[in-house]
Amino acid sequence: MVYVETQITHQLVDVPGAAAAAVELSGVTRVYGARSAAVRALDNVDIAFPAGSWTAVMGPSGSGKSTLLHCAAGLEQVTSGRVHVAGRDITNASDAELTKLRRTVMGFVFQSFNLIGSLTAEQNVAMPLRLAGQRPPRRVVRDVLASVGLADRARHRPGELSGGQQQRVAIARAMVTRPAVLFADEPTGALDTKSARTVLSLLRAMVDNGGQTIVMVTHDPAAAASADRVVFLGDGRVVDRLERPTTRQVAELLARWEG
Amino acid sequence: MLRMSWSTFRDRWQVFVGAIITVCLGVALVQSSLLTLVSAATAKIPPGLSAGEARELRDGYDGAVALLGMTMGLAAFVAIFIVSSTFAFTVAQRRRDLALLRLTGASRRQVRTLLAGEALLLGTLGSGLGALIGVPVMRLHAAMLDSFGFVPSGFVGEWRSWILYVSAGTGIGIAVLGVLAASRRAAKVRPLEALREIGGAARVMTASRWVFGTFFLAGSIALIVLVPVLGGEAALPLSIFVSFTLVIAFTAFAPLVVPLVSLPFGLLFRGRLGVLAHANLRAGVRRSASTAAPIMVLVAFVVGMAGTMSTITEASRQEVTRDLRADLVLEADRPVRDQVAAVPGVSAISEEAPVIVDLGFDYGDDQLTYEGVDAVAVDPTGYARTHRVVPTAGDLADLRGATIALSPSYAPELHLRVGDTLPVRLDGGGPDKLRVVALLPDTLSGPFFLLPPDLMPGDGPRRYIVRAADPQTVAPRLAGLGEVSTATRWIEANADEQQRQSVDVMVALLGMAMLYTVIAMINAVVISASDRRGEFAAARVTGLTRGQVVRTALGEALAVVSIGLLLGTLAAAGTVIGIAFAIKDMIGISAAAPPWALLAAVALGATAVVAAASVLTTLSATRTPPIRLVAARE
Repeated sequence: MVYVETQITHQLVDVPGAAAAAVELSGVTRVYGARSAAVRALDNVDIAFPAGSWTAVMGPSGSGKSTLLHCAAGLEQVTSGRVHVAGRDITNASDAELTKLRRTVMGFVFQSFNLIGSLTAEQNVAMPLRLAGQRPPRRVVRDVLASVGLADRARHRPGELSGGQQQRVAIARAMVTRPAVLFADEPTGALDTKSARTVLSLLRAMVDNGGQTIVMVTHDPAAAASADRVVFLGDGRVVDRLERPTTRQVAELLARWEG
Repeated sequence: MLRMSWSTFRDRWQVFVGAIITVCLGVALVQSSLLTLVSAATAKIPPGLSAGEARELRDGYDGAVALLGMTMGLAAFVAIFIVSSTFAFTVAQRRRDLALLRLTGASRRQVRTLLAGEALLLGTLGSGLGALIGVPVMRLHAAMLDSFGFVPSGFVGEWRSWILYVSAGTGIGIAVLGVLAASRRAAKVRPLEALREIGGAARVMTASRWVFGTFFLAGSIALIVLVPVLGGEAALPLSIFVSFTLVIAFTAFAPLVVPLVSLPFGLLFRGRLGVLAHANLRAGVRRSASTAAPIMVLVAFVVGMAGTMSTITEASRQEVTRDLRADLVLEADRPVRDQVAAVPGVSAISEEAPVIVDLGFDYGDDQLTYEGVDAVAVDPTGYARTHRVVPTAGDLADLRGATIALSPSYAPELHLRVGDTLPVRLDGGGPDKLRVVALLPDTLSGPFFLLPPDLMPGDGPRRYIVRAADPQTVAPRLAGLGEVSTATRWIEANADEQQRQSVDVMVALLGMAMLYTVIAMINAVVISASDRRGEFAAARVTGLTRGQVVRTALGEALAVVSIGLLLGTLAAAGTVIGIAFAIKDMIGISAAAPPWALLAAVALGATAVVAAASVLTTLSATRTPPIRLVAARE
């Protein structure tokens, strides 16, 4: 596994401009279905997510924002165009290559907290490292849990935690490998306001302190306002952008594009 | 990964209970059968027995070995089948968890390792328990074989310590073989499925199911066609094998067949609840299929085997009826030919003496194989007058001196012809070679070998087949010489005896199959209900009462039972039709005796078990107030 990591680091250094964009989609089109029933979820999208920045992707239902996230993370094949993650072309990457990337370069956080129910918080957090064949020292895992404020919940199972706590465990899991890119899909969607605020500040810290990149799909103007910029999608195309957004600006744009 | 396997195992133990019991039972049965089999196969015939007694004893041991061999095969097959359907089901239930693992960086191989680890745990636990339970099961086996008359009383399988390795290997082997297909499916789960529901249910009919299903269906059809060609002794094991392959084929095609078969239930299910039950049935194809599978196996084996045996019995009864041209049968314990001939009114007599001879067959392995066979020494003239005999070659009238008439169906591969000579060993001396003078047609009921009157022993039991102008007046006159019965009654008594023997064997094999499948049925119902708490809760929030939810689930379960019964009957019918064709081809008699009563009993039993399991599990799954379950989605 050490070998794998060196390989990826090597590529990171090797490809020029890798530092500029952590994730880059060029001319990406994704079509579902065939012929008459075909739906263009993404229509020739060009977008780059700069390294060390936090981008929120917004848009009405069916605008293609989830598809964008899935394609950017290599979870779905694009119909045409190219996708680069951490300087590496993943457009036609094999399952094994993508698996390696998921262990080292990418992290995921979702609306439904996606923890493995039979494992404790601690074991859930250690999972990505274990899957990569490492034996993480307990201290490392505890530290990460402490950084999301759950030091005292390490031995609890997801069923014994509140929604906000579960989401923080999921974030801790995504943090433990220090991924270059974190993909987040409605991370605050199922949380109360207070828990949502905690989660957003954790994400903020990852970008500011860890220099990590976040690509986040959301409906929530408050969540989008925590990001560095907002990209609006409509009918599979990028229709608007907003730098350093405020909640109010986001809400206004949302009203315009969704109304 | 193994630690992960352990935690899943600990967490989902309810799901695995059925599989553990199955493995445990499989191991116990294989262990006990194997030990008993080895003991029976190596059993020494005590000295001082007459040749006949020794042969009877050896035949009994041979019968025991055959029965135990079948038990072992069936036990292993059914265990693998049930474990694999359990795993298939848990994989389907855990798609989201598995996708999540893939998302956090698990490779395909790691997912497979995870499942293999679970299988290993299950296998180890099952083997341990099975090896313990195997000890009392061995006593049970011995008692059973004794009661069937296969072994002398006091016979018990001998414990051998190497069996523990075999048992451990069997249990783990069953579990690992059972997990193979499921782990392949699990490895195909895409990481994206952790994020959204994608056609997990929509694509139940996978390419490998098509390949497997087609392969086994084609194989079954080929076997059904082949049974008549191979015929004879091979027919029964072969036709049982057909039920194996048909069951596998139907299981593979289940996602296709279940919705198709459930169509008619749409007409039957009326009202709001009916519509819901029908919709659930069609939507939960995998769930329906895995509950239907054990019922299908049960019916296919039980009804298929019972049907095969009763068809053979019925056909041989008809064959004897067709070929016997006599009015009375006299069983005497000594030769009384002259006295019978002296009775007024007797128009023809055939004197028949059972003789056991060792015939030497050349199967092409450099040396002669001597086999003890049941032959009948007859007087050809009398025999021809009281039996319908149409030799396919040669002439029965030549049956004089050192000769033999035989049915080549005893060993078709030898291609015996008139004029061939067979080495022979007779009790108390006599010729060492017999010349074949006539070939008898294929037969189910025998005799396969006829010997000339010259080889009739001087004394011993005799059977006299008698034709009489007025049987009612002749019968009492014969009564003093032995046991007299009319030909019709004698045939019935013979058939009953044959039936009783096959029923014994059936009870042994099928009792076991039933035990297994009942476990599997309950297992499937419990697993599927455990997964449906959320669904039940949603139904109740929508306005259904708890009673209505239970009734809907029950309706669904009953429909699934019917589907299983239907498919099982189809597989059984394939088996019985195969054997019926084989018989028609052999002896020209069309006989099929479907065991209707047994089918009805199995249907009732399966319905009762599934209905009870369904009601109980649905009640337990709906005990929590629904709103709590709907709210807590994870």
